[in-house]
Amino acid sequence: MHRQLEQMRPQLVRFAQLQIRNQALAEDAVQDALIAVLEKPERFTGASSLRTYVTGILKFKIIDCLRSSTRERQFDTDEGQGDDELIDALFTANGHTVAPPQSWGDPDTALEQKDFFRTLELCLEKLPAQTARVFMMREWLELETEEICKELAITSSNAWVLLYRARLRLRECLDLNWFGQRSPQ
Amino acid sequence: MTNPDKTGLKPTCREAHRLVSEGMDRELSFVERTRLRLHLMVCDGCTRFNGQMSLLRTAMRRFPDEHGK
Repeated sequence: MHRQLEQMRPQLVRFAQLQIRNQALAEDAVQDALIAVLEKPERFTGASSLRTYVTGILKFKIIDCLRSSTRERQFDTDEGQGDDELIDALFTANGHTVAPPQSWGDPDTALEQKDFFRTLELCLEKLPAQTARVFMMREWLELETEEICKELAITSSNAWVLLYRARLRLRECLDLNWFGQRSPQ
Repeated sequence: MTNPDKTGLKPTCREAHRLVSEGMDRELSFVERTRLRLHLMVCDGCTRFNGQMSLLRTAMRRFPDEHGK
């Protein structure tokens, strides 16, 4: 188990860093999670994969870290103001899509492939830092918008816009780098 | 039209995209839900966008992959 956990460490640190900008703090959160697993190996029942189990524990450690560290609260809401161009570029003046989203085929097929998740991870890493942070809090840590706003001291409308932009960018990135290569069924 | 997101009589793709996303983060009002539903009924592009957003959410909840064992 020790060896398996060590193999997961780099990926877990990359994930933690998408939310905890400070590398040392991110590594600490991962370390805490790994220790928690190793201290009580009997708690891992094998009902899920070890990776899923560790990830679940890491999520709690990250949430703890976000709650306790005040310096993580500095949040630049200006990020991506110019991103309205991103939204503008997708639509014509009368509100139609310039290029309507194309079919991604059978969603289950994508979710069954390891490379899909690797592509998704690369797309997440390409997001602007604060946008990635809000998105990861919402979709990975599964926090409610109110809590995210409280932690980061931003307004709900800020959060909605950042989440919307994150989704548009991720959709485009996946479309180009994953689904684009595959012809629709 | 000064604000392109401002709602006209007929919901546009631009409005529908935004509502699909916001609907994942807050409860939409009755009017918003109705407008979105009406638009999705006639627009394949936005319907695909809606499905892609669900896929993105499902994928994030499984992250890191179950298959990297």
